[in-house]
Amino acid sequence: MKTRTIILGAVLSALPGLLHAQFDFKLDGLPVQIHSFASQGFAYSNDNNFLTMKTSSGSFAMTDAGANISSQITDKFRVGAQFYIRNVGAIGNWEPQLDWASGDYRFKDWFGIRAGKVKTALGLYNDTQDMEFLQTWALMPQSTYPVDLRGNTIAHVGGDIYGNISMKKAGSLAYTVYGGQRPSDMQGGITFGLLGAGIRLDSYGGTAMGADLRWNAPLKGLMAGASYIDLNVSEKGTRLSNNLPYTVDTNKDHTPVFYAEYSIGNLRLDGEYRREIQVVDKTGLGKTGTGVGTTGLDERSGFLSAAYRVSKWLELGTYHSRFYPNWPLIHSVPANHLFDQAVTARFDLTSYLDLKVEGHFLDGAVGTNYYHGFYSIGNPQGLQSMTNMLVIRMGFHM
Amino acid sequence: MKSKSILFVAAALCLCVAASAWSTDIKVVANQSVGASAVSADELKAVFLMTKTSLADGSHVEPVLEKAGTTHDRFLKECLGKTESALETYYRSLVFTGKASMPKMVASDADVVEYVAKTKGAIGYIGAGTSAAGVKTLEVK
Repeated sequence: MKTRTIILGAVLSALPGLLHAQFDFKLDGLPVQIHSFASQGFAYSNDNNFLTMKTSSGSFAMTDAGANISSQITDKFRVGAQFYIRNVGAIGNWEPQLDWASGDYRFKDWFGIRAGKVKTALGLYNDTQDMEFLQTWALMPQSTYPVDLRGNTIAHVGGDIYGNISMKKAGSLAYTVYGGQRPSDMQGGITFGLLGAGIRLDSYGGTAMGADLRWNAPLKGLMAGASYIDLNVSEKGTRLSNNLPYTVDTNKDHTPVFYAEYSIGNLRLDGEYRREIQVVDKTGLGKTGTGVGTTGLDERSGFLSAAYRVSKWLELGTYHSRFYPNWPLIHSVPANHLFDQAVTARFDLTSYLDLKVEGHFLDGAVGTNYYHGFYSIGNPQGLQSMTNMLVIRMGFHM
Repeated sequence: MKSKSILFVAAALCLCVAASAWSTDIKVVANQSVGASAVSADELKAVFLMTKTSLADGSHVEPVLEKAGTTHDRFLKECLGKTESALETYYRSLVFTGKASMPKMVASDADVVEYVAKTKGAIGYIGAGTSAAGVKTLEVK
């Protein structure tokens, strides 16, 4: 762990010097581009510890980095790959991941195929949620893009069919249809949450199939879209107290998503709504670990945001995010909702260096079972219903 | 209610017309390999947003942008409808999700002309007063 920290520290220290130039060169006559990014955050909260960090004492355990290489082999064919590493509290654990690696052949503008490990098109920001320099926010709305569950839908090993269709005066449509195997994220919130319940996660994975359709309206700056994802998840674990198996198998896991974005001048408004309907079969339940059962969830989430670029170096923004882990439950109970009002100032110090200062006013404290920031294992004193948190994050990219 | 609806539709139409208006202060230039002699404003926007890689005549095209300057600012505002920072974010989101490479960016009108002249399929924009020697000028419809 210490060696990894030193290596990452050295890389981060060296980055600013390297970041002035985009690596753009030819290899055997082929154009090659190399890009990278890294960020370091700090979070400080009153009372509750958030996202597996010791935020109530102030935590710097919020680091991530990535690098990609790509080449346009022919006019229609390109290849590339990106590596990603993160450590957010107990999430990520510095384990390097192949973020995406794909070959992409665009037969026509309206029909292309992408295959390999591909970032999943889902809602406004699923595929870019972990690149802080692309966002106004230090922390994305955790209702919809929870850091703990990034691995669940971030990518699939399989393929996409995609294209752009011009509709003349009616704007244009961009579509993506995909299917594949979800990568197994053993360093995410589910592993941590289950551990708090005395269960060791041994394997986790399944399939993902879905589609995304977005309409660029003729009204300048307006885009609206919808996505749908169908997941099939299988979890296998072991109860640490008696070595009995714990399993979760999906009967149904459907998520429709609706979103829109409108930009006018320096102002950007966007919003997204999701509803995940899930029915799973479980074994290993109860105190003895011998129980079985079927459980269902009707999870709803969404956010509205506004951001205004005041100048080349300053952007101000705010969002309101809402998460209901199971809609039929009584919403006013703190364990049944998590709202977050965030206010942000993003400073673009140079073209490759940004600093964000962000305040979060969280209402509610959904528990360990929902993997949305709050875990019993990190909050042995119990969860308070309100949390205020300051997040400062600095990022490089080239 | 009816008059409000009419006003709304009229406002929307005005916005659509405004979106397709083209500045006479900008010339669109392309490499001699590009067969087309004209492009529509929508086509041009799609090329620079990298959702389109060929023109109506089938010619493959690759955009080249200026890094800054008056021509660049005007092109972004009038053709792409994006601010400088929004366009940078847009390109980076493509690059970091594996969907495209970063387009070529050069410093000035003269550099655009020089790059377009020597690069097959290249398409760029320059100020109306800049010489387009060695490249072809495309009419924007």
